[in-house]
Amino acid sequence: MKAVRAGVRWMARTISIVLLVILGSTLLVRFAPGYLSDAREMDSRYAVVARSELSAERARSHSIPQMVLSEIRSSLHGDFGTSRQFDVPVLELIRPRLAVSGGLLLRGIGLAWLVALCAALISSAGRNPSLFWQTPATLLLAIPTAALATFCLLANSGGPVLVMALLLAARDFKFLNHALRRAWLEPHVLQARAQGVGPIRLLLGHLMPALAPQFEALASLSIVTALSALVPVEVIFNVPGIGELAWNAALNRDLPVLLAVMMLMAVTVTCSGMAVPRPADWESA
Amino acid sequence: MKIRRSVLWLLAGLFVAASAVVCLPGASYSRQDREAILAAASVRHPAGTDALGRDRLARVAVAFLLGLAGAAVAAALTTAAAAGVGTLAAFGRPSMGWTMMLVCDVFLALPWMFLLMMVRSALPLTTTPARSAMITFLVLAALGWPASARAVYRGATHLKSSEWMLYARAGGLNGFSIVRHVIPNLLPLLVPQFLISVPAFVMAEANLGALGLGVGEPLPSWGGMLFELNNSPMLMQTRWVYFPVVLLVLVLLLLEGVAAET
Repeated sequence: MKAVRAGVRWMARTISIVLLVILGSTLLVRFAPGYLSDAREMDSRYAVVARSELSAERARSHSIPQMVLSEIRSSLHGDFGTSRQFDVPVLELIRPRLAVSGGLLLRGIGLAWLVALCAALISSAGRNPSLFWQTPATLLLAIPTAALATFCLLANSGGPVLVMALLLAARDFKFLNHALRRAWLEPHVLQARAQGVGPIRLLLGHLMPALAPQFEALASLSIVTALSALVPVEVIFNVPGIGELAWNAALNRDLPVLLAVMMLMAVTVTCSGMAVPRPADWESA
Repeated sequence: MKIRRSVLWLLAGLFVAASAVVCLPGASYSRQDREAILAAASVRHPAGTDALGRDRLARVAVAFLLGLAGAAVAAALTTAAAAGVGTLAAFGRPSMGWTMMLVCDVFLALPWMFLLMMVRSALPLTTTPARSAMITFLVLAALGWPASARAVYRGATHLKSSEWMLYARAGGLNGFSIVRHVIPNLLPLLVPQFLISVPAFVMAEANLGALGLGVGEPLPSWGGMLFELNNSPMLMQTRWVYFPVVLLVLVLLLLEGVAAET
């Protein structure tokens, strides 16, 4: 019964977050001073057409409740409305790109975790923090995603998966190394080591189960970080994914596409956070 | 502590050097030298020139000062907002706390880059460079507070249940008086939040600028300098285009060093 109640609460919270994302995004974009402006206005060949389209948009978006309702209706309908830029249903734009971005995310996160976990296991086993592992991680954290992607592109070595994996691995390594280093120094682990229990057995039998909640939280954080890195990586490597679509939509003020991508992100992040146990005092808030 | 002091000295040194470059007579980030397009380092242009013949050293110096000042102001605003929201959520009515944390959840449910891109792109096409810089950092401040507010909320709830607070409330302390005593006690939490936000905002501006959504030309910014790297033929002509990126990474390392040592 308790689990059902928790499930219902989580579902209600997720739905309200998604609804608030739709409402907030619509209001944010609609009331932004540049919403009713178009780059084509600056070109005399397209200025007349652009202005007539914008005045139609102004008339359509005059009533905010109606605008929000129409966005929710089109989301419930399943096609997420029609793209202002491409004049096709948004779902048709999103569906093929979802697989591309999903694959990139999965491979990037998988590789990052593999690298970070291996490095953290080796690094944390030593007595002192090893500069050999710490230095590259610190350096990678100080390089903006766009710069790293551009360097890889110019050097013609490494693709979007590698860039994504390196960025995530550096971040994950810091947390994993810290957590593992602390776990190795726990009194019961020290006692077990002193009594001759092997490191593999200790790791699999004691450390990993104890660190599982922290790993879950870190995995959830990895997804959010990877989603943020998706835009520069896809734009710079010209990968036809969700990040590139969102960037295009943002440049062209394509509200239906932007809203659909935002909803998708909100659902993904909220669902990824589902597995992470929240601190008890947050539950009351 | 010793490392932190060295890092602070290095940052101060960079700040003084950048200010000196900007104040040099004849130094201008926007003046074009049409006879020295993409020039390598020389006495006249110590870090060469860009594709429009503008002095790269002057541009990097302005980008450094602008990035640091903008990020520091944005971080201060974010920290202040987080302090207000976190304290109100912890000490206000439960319904107020619930609503505030739900708003935080809504912001945190959207990856930062998408949110920044959406807000920044919806701004007017014809803004002045100075205004675009102001807007960029204000947008960063406006969207960066929820994570800090969560941390402050957690700290404030701990304070709320502390013994001295229970005594104070039992003794009749309420409303503004509580906040007056709580904020100084939250400083150990707020200072690191501020220091963490500064490099995060510098990096966010660089990423936004690299996508063409940052500070407008001709005002130099880290993002604008990264945007230059998209021009591959230019990179073949001079290696000095990498100079701003190397300096940006150094600045970020120093800023993260300050935050890590706190």
